Amino acid sequence: MVSIRIRGLTKRFGETIALQGLDLDIKAGELFFLLGPSGCGKTTLLRAIAGFHLPEEGSIHFDDDDVTQVPPHKRNTAMMFQSYALWPHLNVFRNVAFGLEEQKVPKPEIRERVQQALEMVKMGDYAQRKINQLSGGQQQRVALARALVVRPRCLMLDEPLSNLDAKLRIEMRTEIRRICKEFGLTAIYVTHDQKEALSIADRMAILDGGKIAQIGPPEEVYRHPHTATVASFIGETNFIPGAVESANMDGSYRISSAIGEFTASPGNPEWKPQIGQKTLLSIRPECLSLSVEKSSQNVVAGKLAESVYLGEIAHYALKTESDPKTIHIAELNPRRVVREEGTLLYAAADPRDIVMVPAP
Amino acid sequence: MSRSIPKLIFAFTVLFFAVFFLYPIWNTVQEAFFDPDGEFTLSFVGAIFRNPIYLEGLINAFKMGLFSTIASLVIALPLALVANRYRFPGKDVLTSLLLVPMILPPFVGALGIRQFLGQTGVLNTLLIDLGLMNPATPFDWMGEGQLFGVVLMNALHLYPIAYLNISAALANLDPAMEEAAENLGCHGLRRLWRVTLPLIMPGVFAGSTIIFIWSFTELGVPLIFDYGRVTSVQIFDGIKELSGNPLPYALVVVMLGTTVVIYAISKWLFGRENFASSGRASTGRTLEHAKPLTGWLFTALFAATTAIAILPHVGVILLSVAGDWYGTLLPSEFTAQHYIDALGHPLTVNSIGNSLKYASFSTLFDITLGIAIAYVVVRTRLPGRHLLDALAMLPLAVPGLVLAFGYFALAQEGQAFDFLILGEDPVIILVIAYAVRRLPYVVRSAAAGYQQTSVSLEEAAQNLGCTPWRSLQRVTLPLITANLIAGGLLAFSFAMLEVSDSLILAEQAQHFPITKAIYALISALGNGHYLASALGVWAMLFLATTIIGAGLILGQKMGALFRV
Repeated sequence: MVSIRIRGLTKRFGETIALQGLDLDIKAGELFFLLGPSGCGKTTLLRAIAGFHLPEEGSIHFDDDDVTQVPPHKRNTAMMFQSYALWPHLNVFRNVAFGLEEQKVPKPEIRERVQQALEMVKMGDYAQRKINQLSGGQQQRVALARALVVRPRCLMLDEPLSNLDAKLRIEMRTEIRRICKEFGLTAIYVTHDQKEALSIADRMAILDGGKIAQIGPPEEVYRHPHTATVASFIGETNFIPGAVESANMDGSYRISSAIGEFTASPGNPEWKPQIGQKTLLSIRPECLSLSVEKSSQNVVAGKLAESVYLGEIAHYALKTESDPKTIHIAELNPRRVVREEGTLLYAAADPRDIVMVPAP
Repeated sequence: MSRSIPKLIFAFTVLFFAVFFLYPIWNTVQEAFFDPDGEFTLSFVGAIFRNPIYLEGLINAFKMGLFSTIASLVIALPLALVANRYRFPGKDVLTSLLLVPMILPPFVGALGIRQFLGQTGVLNTLLIDLGLMNPATPFDWMGEGQLFGVVLMNALHLYPIAYLNISAALANLDPAMEEAAENLGCHGLRRLWRVTLPLIMPGVFAGSTIIFIWSFTELGVPLIFDYGRVTSVQIFDGIKELSGNPLPYALVVVMLGTTVVIYAISKWLFGRENFASSGRASTGRTLEHAKPLTGWLFTALFAATTAIAILPHVGVILLSVAGDWYGTLLPSEFTAQHYIDALGHPLTVNSIGNSLKYASFSTLFDITLGIAIAYVVVRTRLPGRHLLDALAMLPLAVPGLVLAFGYFALAQEGQAFDFLILGEDPVIILVIAYAVRRLPYVVRSAAAGYQQTSVSLEEAAQNLGCTPWRSLQRVTLPLITANLIAGGLLAFSFAMLEVSDSLILAEQAQHFPITKAIYALISALGNGHYLASALGVWAMLFLATTIIGAGLILGQKMGALFRV
């Protein structure tokens, strides 16, 4: 179990800058997620920590060891690859035993530890199977066992579930969290699936353009996004352009917009907007509740353009008179579904659910 | 295209292969296993294994195949690994040049290598000049059974096949497979041994099998080196006393049997294992920039390999302009006399004309049949189209010597193909022999063309009122012209320098193709050697022109034509 400290990490590929001066601290024993749109640098960062990319600038420390220039085979990390990278010329047992053989662990101990690792991922009966006789889910478990059996200082997971079907993904992600916590492992998990991150992460970092856009526990990142990119990458949201009218005593602000007045607070508590400054309001669809009667504040009026009923939830789209043209609403446990297109409806939000982010 | 035409093509191809591929082989097998009374017997084949001379020939052929294969792998493996991983100065040009030796005829090159490695050759002269060798007792590099020279020539000719196969296997390897090993502490040569090599083994063996079969049955090189105690040469000698003698047939059957067994073993070992990874690769391989010094070292490695591999042919060129070249580093005087003499010599002038004639007709035949076969295989759902595809590829797997022998036996007086010999002119049988062996190249390039050309282009033409036949002519064929030209050029240039069919089937001097003329000139006294090399240079010029043409048209895709 190690903590990881990254300072000023920069990695270029020819002209493109994959990581630019990135700082990051990962605590010992933490299940840490790296998220972001494709090309944001998350895989590059993971591979730099594993040692597959040497950075041009900056440093990486495992606890107090500077590993910046240490080659991958001496870092004692264990990586689970997106393609699993199980070697087809070796059977399940030999695949899992590989890392221990490299460490010159005595044979009887190898046998015992491999069997243990396989039991833990519920593959104990498959030790003698060939890799191409396994299903995708089974291969994924073997890859996890191969990574865990060496008792790595840090476990790296590169989109480990992206090749599995939806049901198996949900099963495996809780499994991965259980195992990480059982071993007290420091684990870094790269994904583009926000559900995976929100459901099992201790903390997560959203990367954007080779930099960290925000870092924090899932509920904080979801409820208080610092930037428009973060707000739109994690979950669905409505953006309403507006301007700061005045500051309230409680730290919230009054915002005027083309479709009404709102009370909102900055997602980033350190951001102090000026009066008159342009801003974007982010209101998530589930934070809006529909009514047929107008109230004075924090309300959007619009005509119903579309309604989709999904049982536990109903989605509505309202057309407004000006920017933004469409407001999305999600109603949980819908008792009565409005279906008549063109009906004038009002959608109200609690000020605590309205987040200000800097206008891009 | 109307429904009956694919069937017609199918029927014609099957018939053609039955008559000119299976029947000659079957006839040979029959002669080897049935005595004149029609009784089945193993005594002829048994006699081969009891005769110490034939047995030695087989063992030598096996050694020739094995050592050539190992030498090719030793040359190709490091080069393929380096090219797969690193960028270095001049890489693009050098990796293409590396393939050049494959298309240079080893039969011609063998002429030149004697000039370098003979007792009075360049290497010894150099060593004596440097004081490293006693002039009184020069070492004979090509002595000791001459196997060394033969293997060297084969390896320098065939290593590109190993290089292409290993490169393809490395390119298909998911880089994460190696990174996973690295991540678990396995590094450098150890990683190569434990992970990379086992994973590319199927590719290595695919290439090795082709190289082994090729060099196991090689006829031209041992002939030039006077390496007589080897099965291929023994078969060649055997055709002189064919009538009523079953032993040459038995020898051919043993050779064919050995190649089939080798082929089957390699399929059985590696055909079943599919190491292609199931998931998609998580990362593309990023080529590392080699450090400046290492980079130039790699450049030198590639350049040196190519240089050594084309050295024999450089020797031929020097020999063709040498007034006198004996015990000196370079020819002591230069002259154009050999070219003038060659132009006056009836054998050489005739042979160039003959080769052009045989190669052109066979290429024309291949292109026509290749377009048709590839069409049926790619564009129709005719049951049995896979059989057609397999048939068209089969000549790649059967040694040329076996087929040549089969034709020769059938072209004897009173045999089935006798009527194909017009008077004494073997033009028809030679054209057919050339065509059969080179059909795979043309079918493959035509099929690639069809696959790259969407059917909807033809359908659009038909939709506008074009008949299927017209749409093929007006739309598809123009679009795949490049492929057809490339395949045709390869077929043509390989036919120009064909060895086994030419040596065996052309019996009269006025019908000799280039290769047989070279062989005849070498055995002749006087300035035969010089004339042979002048003719060899002419042949290489033809070859270079056509190959460069094909390369310009096909670009990077050219390597794909040599993979089996």
